[in-house]
This record gives sequence, structure tokens and C-alpha cells, in this order.
Amino acid sequence: MKTKAEKVAGSFRDPSGFLFKKNDILYRQVNEAYRENYDYLMNSGLYERLTESGCLVKHEEVNLSLALSPSAYKVIRPEPVAFISYPYEWCFSQFRDAALLTLKIQKTALEFGMSLKDASAYNIQFHYGHQVLIDTLSFEREIECVPWVAYRQYCQHFLGPLLLMAYRDIRMNQLLKLFIDGIPLDLTSRLLPAYTRFLPAISLHIHIHTMSQKRYADKAVRKDKKRIGRNALLGIITSLENATRKIRYRLEKSEWGEYYEDTNYSRAAFEHKKRIIAEFIEKARPELVWDLGANLGIFSRIAGDLGIRTISFDIDPQAVEKNYRKCVSDKERNILPLLLDLTNPSPSIGWENKERMSFLDRGPVSMIFALALIHHLAISNNLPFARIAESFQKLCRSLAIEFVPKKDSQVQRLLATREDIFDQYTQSNFEKEFGRYFLIHEQVAIQDSNRILYLMQSRT
Amino acid sequence: MNKTERISRILLLFVVGIMAFPKCIFAYIDPGTGSYIIQIMIAVFIGISFAVRVYWKKIKAFLSGVFKKNSGDEN
Repeated sequence: MKTKAEKVAGSFRDPSGFLFKKNDILYRQVNEAYRENYDYLMNSGLYERLTESGCLVKHEEVNLSLALSPSAYKVIRPEPVAFISYPYEWCFSQFRDAALLTLKIQKTALEFGMSLKDASAYNIQFHYGHQVLIDTLSFEREIECVPWVAYRQYCQHFLGPLLLMAYRDIRMNQLLKLFIDGIPLDLTSRLLPAYTRFLPAISLHIHIHTMSQKRYADKAVRKDKKRIGRNALLGIITSLENATRKIRYRLEKSEWGEYYEDTNYSRAAFEHKKRIIAEFIEKARPELVWDLGANLGIFSRIAGDLGIRTISFDIDPQAVEKNYRKCVSDKERNILPLLLDLTNPSPSIGWENKERMSFLDRGPVSMIFALALIHHLAISNNLPFARIAESFQKLCRSLAIEFVPKKDSQVQRLLATREDIFDQYTQSNFEKEFGRYFLIHEQVAIQDSNRILYLMQSRT
Repeated sequence: MNKTERISRILLLFVVGIMAFPKCIFAYIDPGTGSYIIQIMIAVFIGISFAVRVYWKKIKAFLSGVFKKNSGDEN
């Protein structure tokens, strides 16, 4: 049955075109207003260069009859991205790589006589293990005499958040949930340590930039005063590139970053758990897996190695950072590590709360792993089993879940500093409550441990 | 024309160069006037540091000549 085409809620800012979905396929309408730029992008060799180097998502042109409005010049179908992620879900290195990719694309565009008209972090997505620009309409013919129109946006979306993450706190990218167009520069300037005023690049691009914004707020500048040479423009991009490249983040010992070394699993138990998960995957045959509480992604990789695209979520920025660095060094195509606090997942934000999808909006998924997670939700976050089961049912068809009994040392650790008010935290209650939402297909006790793994199937 | 004059001329040409070629482009995001102005400032700053780098050797040679001369005077 054919479904009605629907515009993507977050695609309205740029008059050059918009995204829409029809029969679950994503299309992009290119408007007549963008004709000249689109033709130039496609014919100048820039599209070819960027797609061959994996910097820009590939697309194919489809029948114009699919267009949603008469203003259409073309309709294109971009290669689908498995999971849309947002900058507040990225670790430091993912963020920095996205920033550097944006500048690399801008430099390449300038070589071909085009320029990026926006530098939004939301335009960068992960696609088979590397980052790509997903907005094909971000390019415009470069008129070689004005400063970069997306400079402010680059500083707000990339440079500022990265500096705050490196110089203040790694969690500072969470501010992007509050500011959809990047962290305002005056706030970045206030939050950065005072000594950064003496670091030339930061001083120029953030502190003096902020002063300049205040000085010229609501003031128009004569067109003839907005001129800049091509080399000067390249110099600015290079300066931003150097400033971005210099921002470093050193890993520290974190709460869960050392989890695998600090766990009570024996080697035999660990290996047995891996074998059970592999069997569960074999039985469930998922297309996409979300590994919730993945830590360094050891179990995500069992699915990833089988060619299944797997999102490896964790609450700890350091664990996500380590996981991502491993993905990069091993050139892994199927694993995407992301930051997620499952007890307060990413909300939907922006206009009408629809521009950026919430975590739940991006589901459901074929399979979820919830390994060594249940005690954190039920005990640390006081969630009843029924609420957890209900939520997981909304998110997946198949569920691989580990029950960690109260006598387990990890649960005891959580209870060490608080009163045990969790009479309901028993295996039989767990099975009873989850059984309301899922069919329990299999349960296997992990050798040399007191934990149990379950494979469940949603009842809906 | 001495060295200082040559450097000043190059800098002047650079600044005039970056201020040349007018036109405006279509932008759907607000680039911000302050963000334009700062880029022009950065461009000048980059221009100066570029010129300094290019002529650094000559400046160094010039300065070491001056200091040599001074230390020679002291002796």
C-alpha cells in the first residue's frame, strides 16, 4: 500500500530544497532556486571528488514526478544512513573529526569555485564507519570576495563546544541540547578559562569574535566593506583547521572506562557470555542492533563482526571515546559508539519539538542488547521491572537481556551506599514482569557466574 | 627602496587586495556582521604573519646586523 509523502520536520531552513519520505524512502527535493548551484556541483567535478573520497553522501537522481511542489528542479535519493546521531551524542574525537571534515570539505569546495553556505554539526553523520556530509544542498558558487558566511556557525557548532569540552569539562557538549544553533559565542567566551584569552587562535575566533559580535550587533555593514581575497579566505579556514586540530582531550580513568578489568567475571564466564550472545544473534537475525550500556563495545563487536550495523551506546564519555578510537584504528564499518543516558535519553528539540528526533523517535530497532544493565536501571534509578520491560518493548523486536541477581558483587556495590528497598528485585519477578511484554525464548545461565542471559521476543 | 619600505608596500598591497572584488552572496543563515568584521581582521592578521614569515630571514639578517654593529661599537 502506498503511503503519503511526508516532509522531514527538521528540513525547512534552507530554501534550496527539503527532505521528505515516501514509502519509507528518503528523498530530497532540489528547488528551482538552487538549479545553478546544483548543476555546478554536479558538473564541476566537486560532487565526484567529495563522494569518491567519502566526504559527501552519494545520491541518485529520480523521477521528477515524485516532487512535492511545483518549485522542484530535481528530486534525488541520498544513500540512507543507518542511524541519525546528534552532536550531543558524540564523544570528543567524533566531534573533532566532524569539525575537521567540515573544514576539509570547505577547502575542497573552494578549489572548485564553491563554498559551504552552512557549517551545521547536524549535517555530519556516520555512514559505514566514517563521517559524511549529508546535505547535498550545502554548496553554493563561491563569489570570491566575501568572508565565509558559515564562519559564525562553525564557531558555534564546532569550535566553541570542542574548546569547552577540552578546557572545561568533557560533558559540555550537552549544552547543545539547549542551543540548537550551537553554543552562543558569548557563553563560550564566559565559560572558557581566563588564560585562553592569551592563546592567539582561541582569543581571535572566540573572545575577540564575541566582542565583535557585540560591537556590531544589529548594525549593517556596507557591502563594499565585506570584501576579502581568496587567499585570505583560505587563510581563515586554515587558521580554523589549525585551531581545531590543536584541541586535544586526554583520557582519564572513569567510572565505567575500566569496567572490564574491574568486573567479577572469570575468563570462562566472559567467553561463555560471548558465545551465548553470538547464538542469540544467530537466532534473532537482526538488521540493526542497539547495544545499551555497551561500555567499550565488546559485545557490540560480536554483531558488528557478523556484518550487522550496531549502535554502541554508553553513558560514560570516556568509554565512548575509547570505543570510537578503537573503531577508527581498526577501521570498523559496523560499529557506531554514541553517548546516551538511558535514564534521561536525548529529547526531541527545535521547532515544535520536532527538528531533532528524540532517542525513542529513532526506534524501534530489530534487536536490543541490555547486558549487565538491569541493575543500574532498577537499583541505581529505582525503575520497576514493568517500566523497563514496557520501554524496551517500544524499542525493539528482539531483546538480549542479562539478569544480575542481588547477590552479585556488582549489585552489592550499588547497594553499599544505600538502603536496600528493592524487595521486588528477584529473578522470578523479573521473568514475570518481562513476560507480560515479551515471550521468553531462551534463558541460559552464564558458566562460572550467577547471572542469566535471556533471549526475548516482543509480544506485539 | 630599503627593506622596511618593501615590507610595508607588500602589506599595503595585501590589505588592499583583500578589500577588493565586491559582490554579495545569498545566505539563508545569518552570517552576523560582527562575524564578517572579525574575519576581515583575521585576514589582515594572517596577512601580516604571512608577510613576516616570508621576510623573516631578511628581518633576522637585518636585526643580527644591527646587534653585531652595536656589539662592535661596545668593543
